[in-house]
Amino acid sequence: MSDVKERSPNQLLLIGIIGGLLGIYLTYLLPFAGDKIGGNPAIVLRTIAPTFGALGGICAVVWGADAVRRVAKYGLGTGVPSIGQIAMGMGIIAAMFGLAIVKTIVLAGPIVALVTASILGFIVGWFAQNVIKMKIPVMIRCMTEIAASGTIIIIGFSAAVAGNFEFANIVTLVFDNGIILAVFWVGAVAMLHPFNACLGPDEKQKRLLYLAGSTGAITMAIIGIAATMTLGTSGVITLVLGIGLWIIFYKKFWDEVYHDASSVVGTGLIPKTEA
Amino acid sequence: MVLDLTMSMAILALMGALATIAGCLEDLESDVGSQSNPNSQVQLAPQMGFLHRIFNKAISGEPISNGMSAVIGGTVTTVLLSQKFYPLTAIVIGAFFGAIILGIFATTSYAGRVASQTRFKQPLYMDIMRYTTPSIIGHNFIMNFCLVAIAYIQFEILGYPFTIPFLALIWGISVGAIGSSVGDVHYGGEREFQNREFGCGLNTALSGRIVRKAESGLRNSIDNVWFCAKFGGPATGIALGLTVFFSSWPTTIFGYTWKAIGVGVLIVVVLIIMNRLIELNVRHAYGPYKEEKNEKEAKA
Repeated sequence: MSDVKERSPNQLLLIGIIGGLLGIYLTYLLPFAGDKIGGNPAIVLRTIAPTFGALGGICAVVWGADAVRRVAKYGLGTGVPSIGQIAMGMGIIAAMFGLAIVKTIVLAGPIVALVTASILGFIVGWFAQNVIKMKIPVMIRCMTEIAASGTIIIIGFSAAVAGNFEFANIVTLVFDNGIILAVFWVGAVAMLHPFNACLGPDEKQKRLLYLAGSTGAITMAIIGIAATMTLGTSGVITLVLGIGLWIIFYKKFWDEVYHDASSVVGTGLIPKTEA
Repeated sequence: MVLDLTMSMAILALMGALATIAGCLEDLESDVGSQSNPNSQVQLAPQMGFLHRIFNKAISGEPISNGMSAVIGGTVTTVLLSQKFYPLTAIVIGAFFGAIILGIFATTSYAGRVASQTRFKQPLYMDIMRYTTPSIIGHNFIMNFCLVAIAYIQFEILGYPFTIPFLALIWGISVGAIGSSVGDVHYGGEREFQNREFGCGLNTALSGRIVRKAESGLRNSIDNVWFCAKFGGPATGIALGLTVFFSSWPTTIFGYTWKAIGVGVLIVVVLIIMNRLIELNVRHAYGPYKEEKNEKEAKA
């Protein structure tokens, strides 16, 4: 395990929460601001607004991937995919509860969802630590973070498909046509894949975070394709931006691989070892 | 849509055939990349000093990765169908998207895992990356195509109340689970530890000591899929195909009645008895594992 920490957990927590919530709220506030201004800017703002939900989702993926890394470092090899799934499970319950319970006070929805997710994550973490006795010191904190990032991923990408995070809107545009399953499943893989793919004794956080950005951007691109059906032009913007971000992060990831790997060879025989 | 018995049987046969192909290709796809159970030994090998030229596709367990590619296929297909694409075209394009995304994930997992094994001096072979990834994408594309096609048939023709992405996801998870439980057995013990006596079990001391040399030259993942295509893949295909066939056959013939449920229970009972007979037969033929002389000495 690498001892060099480039980004502290708190730093990533802030990136995840602030970036995630900012993205989610911009999907709602930009069209609102556009209506105040009126004219052409209103149309532009309305079109680009849903894309910010997906960008917020990427922030949460990066945060969640690091939380998965911290908890899974304690020897959870095959448990990594399960952690991603439980994150999304808690996330979707909290997201739907939060968005549905607020009724007319739409703006409170994501915050209520985030708090609910944190409580759920805390309870699950507490059980894992004190009832199952998994003896992982960071368990409670990481489960809380994982659940919270899961809910931001769900709300962020759903908002990118539905246009905003009003519950009725999400039900018609994301649930009824089954796109929520793409959000759920691809979002979970985006979050669990970075640590799973970098697992090993020489795993480095920087490489993992670039990979998290890349998997988040792939999710964004897929959500973009889905959004072309529900929102039209906004979906195309999400798709193109997602592909662009993916290229950047994927390239960065490969730069790190070239830097970290023992040797990168075109082809060749197996080097001699003692075995 | 209401179908007569002949048509329903035809649809059922088509679904069974698609499921058989999907199951077979799913298992082979996981073997190309050494996913799932065999992955742990591939991952462990460099640590034991056994550097290798085998692809390390650690996306996740098979149910999750196949569920992912299938749900992407289903989502893209739904989008294209809403734009009035011809169904076959929509399914092909959707399946292709799912396979490409899985291929991208595969490249990152191979590169990431090898880069995390620097201290064991495991090199990252770019030729392995270049010719194994297209094979993964190809296998996965056929699997996706079959699964999304089944989902389309269920949604459009059989009138299931679920959406195409949902059905595709469920099929992806099922095919992954069946591929993992049926096919992996063939790759794990029989291929990675081919130089040991058959059925000897995996001693802890053998962990990571996988076979790295092929019939000629060094073994790679394409050699492994060649081996698995002889038995593991087809066995998985038949397992999934029969699962689909036997689970839908009673309701197709007898409708949603108690009779159908009775026939279903009967099928399960017959299968349990057959499994037991096979097990007894195998025990009789091979008997208990005989310890080698030096193993006995080591214990004493």
